[in-house]
Formats: sequence, structure tokens, C-alpha cells
Amino acid sequence: MKALRMEFFKCRRRRLWLPLLVMLAAQLAWGLYSMRDPTARELQQGWATLLYNFPMLNAMMTPVIAAVVASRMADIEHKGQTLKLLETVQRTGTLFDAKFLCGAAYMTLFELVQLVVMIAFGLFCGFAGAPPADKIAEYFAATLLTTLTILLLQLVLSLLIPNQMIGMIIGLIGSFVGLFSLFFPPSFQKFLLWAYYAVLYNTRMDWDAATRISDYYFIDLDWAGFACLIVYFLVIYAVGRILFVKKEV
Amino acid sequence: MANLIQTKGLCKRYGSAMRVKDLCMAVPEGSIYGFLGPNGAGKSTTLKMILGLAHPTSGEIDVFGKRMNEKNRLDILKDIGSLIESPSYYGHLTGEENLRILQTLRNVPEDNIRDALEIVRLTSQKDKKVAHYSLGMKQRLGLAAALLAHPRLLILDEPTNGLDPAGIQEMRELICELPGRFGMTVVVSSHLLSEIDQMATHVGVIADGALVYQNTIDRLHEKSEHHLAMHTLNDAMAQALLTHHGIPNELREGEIILPPLEDEKVAECVTLLADSNIGVTRIEERRKNLEDIFLELTEGAASL
Repeated sequence: MKALRMEFFKCRRRRLWLPLLVMLAAQLAWGLYSMRDPTARELQQGWATLLYNFPMLNAMMTPVIAAVVASRMADIEHKGQTLKLLETVQRTGTLFDAKFLCGAAYMTLFELVQLVVMIAFGLFCGFAGAPPADKIAEYFAATLLTTLTILLLQLVLSLLIPNQMIGMIIGLIGSFVGLFSLFFPPSFQKFLLWAYYAVLYNTRMDWDAATRISDYYFIDLDWAGFACLIVYFLVIYAVGRILFVKKEV
Repeated sequence: MANLIQTKGLCKRYGSAMRVKDLCMAVPEGSIYGFLGPNGAGKSTTLKMILGLAHPTSGEIDVFGKRMNEKNRLDILKDIGSLIESPSYYGHLTGEENLRILQTLRNVPEDNIRDALEIVRLTSQKDKKVAHYSLGMKQRLGLAAALLAHPRLLILDEPTNGLDPAGIQEMRELICELPGRFGMTVVVSSHLLSEIDQMATHVGVIADGALVYQNTIDRLHEKSEHHLAMHTLNDAMAQALLTHHGIPNELREGEIILPPLEDEKVAECVTLLADSNIGVTRIEERRKNLEDIFLELTEGAASL
């Protein structure tokens, strides 16, 4: 707890929330603008439409946000050459855990605010029925797990490689991969970490070319994909932590 | 006097290069141990191994009489303050906030922050962001961080690097007063002999990863060679004459080198040369300074 408290303390005056806020605003504006004036049909499928649109936006933007958060948290240690001092007063593994938890708190807050605004928007617009709690919970769990796994990967890269450009470039590539993975076959998507926003869709869209009408509806979450992502998380955590602990400063 | 640090056969290999070779370092309690060596000799690597920041390829490290390992490392380090290479700091935080992080992680009383700032004379600057500190102030903050837990042992790696002469003197004064004021043992590394000469009570000289000398600084001073250098108007004749009269001498770089002689003997030499119409222009007393000894040691040319 002490180590985690100090990670938040170190973030003072770093305005870590600013890029998160800007990205969130952009994401919400983009995601909700097209739904500002819904038809009766759109109101009927409102919740499914929302949960279909946002994973796509997450795939495009969240890897970059995760890269920014991880990079800003690791950069303060590289810039001030503080690791050689910190590692004489705390366990290196504890430092790694505290850094991840601190970044995870920021990203969780980001996802929570996004979700709250989405629900508030749905209620405000008068989407049919009560918010589907089970589907929203699935969406939140899937999005959060994907985001935290990407954050973990970014943090490992940012801590191990002092040049933060590398981490940022990986984040940008990740966001492209995330976006284009929407067009990959599902079996291939599972091999790409950034594709998990798509793997863990719990909605589907059917596009009728003749009527030019889209139908949005809920489907079952791919729990095998969810389990696969947990494995990714555990492997990145274990390997990243070992590499960081073994790294000499 | 017990040794606070004792290493045995300490080695560190990076790839194919052996950076530290079979190093047996002994730092007596209460001393200021000057760890001297040229750049790249292995000083920082050795100190990092003592702090557990680098893993030895082989060898043992005993600190405070305990064999250091991954399990007890942090327990031992509670009594050690360190400043390795350049100072560590968060530029966006104030000096006091920087120390607060360490105070919390080290679990020491809050008052220690005030004490440490006072010792390094940074109290008036404590609310300034460290990014706006001068290099000397950052270095002093680094020293304050090392002193925060009132450690028994202080390890300072090149603490005067990059400082201006006033900063160097200030840092030197601070280091010198630590053993007397707080009973600390200090290990201070440098590539500058004059610096170590002015601070240390004990010295270890490292060259190319190997410890080539270790003893008190006084003992090192005793090694300095004493001789006389004589300049004449005819060195060749003067040398032949002195040799003829049984006075050992040697012609070196345009001057005649004589061993340390008593005053009467020197006067006798001068008279001898003058009687032979060889003008003596200058006689100087020379002492091989520590720098020469250091160079000899680090080039492996001498064995003491």
C-alpha cells in the first residue's frame, strides 16, 4: 500500500489525467454524436448499438492512451535515474506491482467514466428497456481486462526500454492492429492482444445491403477468448516482472 | 577495527569483458574509504554490487558482518545510504517531496527530512522544484537522500562529478564531517587522486577491475619517493665526477637525480663540482607525488 501511495504521490503535477480526459472526450463525442437523434428503430436497439460502437473506439484509441500512461509513469524514473535509489529501499517486484496498480487505477477510472456516460446517454435518449446489466457488465469486464493487459505490456516496455518512443510506437501500432483486427477472422484475432476488443464483442451487427438497414443484437460473450486473455495477462505479468527484477540499473 | 564491508573474490563479467576481477575490499568502521581508479576501472560496478543493484558473477560480499544475499539485502540496506553516479530525483517534485518519498518507503520519522535538509544546507530551497535546482543542489539533495535514515554506512560514487570548484569544496567538507559528527563510515569513489587525498583515511586503488592497492592514506604517502634533482652547466662531466667520488646518481631527462642526502653531503657535492669549474645552477628537493604513484599503480608498473 505504501508503495502504491508513493506512485500516486510521484504523479503529482504530471497531469496524468489530462491525456486520459482528452481521449475520453474525443471517444465519447465520436461514439455518441451519431446517436444524438435516434429513430424509433435505433431506440429499440440503442443499448446493443452502444455496446457495438464502443469496443471499436476502444480498439482505436485505448492502446495509445495505455501507452501514454505507461510511458509517463516509467519516464519519471528513467529521467531522474531513480531506479538505482528506489531499488535500495524497496523490492523491485513491489515497485513493478505498485506502478502497474497505479496505472490500472487511472485506466479503470477512464473505463468507468466512459461506461457511466454511455449509460447516462442511453437513459437520456430513452433507449428501449432498462440498461442490460449483464451485457454491460460483460462489456466492462472484457474492456477492462483487455485495457489492463495492454497497459501491462506497455508498462513492461516503458520500464525496460528508457527510450519512450519505442513504447509509444508500439502503442500506435497496437491501435492500428486493434482497428484492422475487426476485419480479421476470429481464429486469427486471438493471436493479437490488441484484437481482444473485437474478440470479446457481445453484440453483433447485421447489415442488409438491400434495405441498407443495420440490425444490432446481443450475442454470447466468447468466454474461451476471455480465458485466453487472462493467460496473456498472466504471461506478460510473469515475464515482464521477472525481466524488470533481473534488470541491473 | 572491524570491517563494515568485506568482499572476497568479487567478480563481474559483462559479456566477454571481466569488469571486476577477484576484488577483496575491506572498509574499516569509522573510516572514510577512498575508492580510487580511472574512469571505467570498475568502481561503480563494485559499489553497485555492494548495494545489490548489480549481481556478482562470483564472489562474496559481507556487510556489517552479514553475508549479503537477495533475502537480507533490503534489511542490510536500511543502514546504508547511497549516491551512485549522478543524483536520483523527480524533477517535477520539490526537494522536500523527493525526500518524503524516501522517508515513507524507508519508514523513518518525518523529522529526518528536516535534519537531512539542514545537514546539506538545502532548507531554504526545499519548496523549489528539483528541475530548477543547480547541479550542485541536486548533488546535495542526493546526499540528503542518502543521509535520510541516519545510516551507519554511506556509499558515494563520484559525488563531486560535474560540480564547480566551490561545489566540490562544499561537498568535500560535508563528507569529511560525517564520521566525526554522526559516526558514519563513508566509502567515496573518485577518479581524482587529489580529492581522495583530501578526504580519505583509507584508500583502495582499482585498475582494470583489480584492486591494486589497499591501505591507509598515510601508508600511501610513505611510498612517495624522495630525491634531489641537480642542474649543472655540464651534466656529463658532473655525473662522471660524482660517480668517481662514490655518490650514487643517475641522469634523467636533462637533470642529475641524487638520492636524499644529508645537508653536509649536498654541500660537499656542490664544492666538488665548483672546484672542477662545473657550474651548479639549481638543486631541487623532489618527492614523487601521489599522482605518480597512482599512475604507476593503475598502469600496473609498480607493486607496493
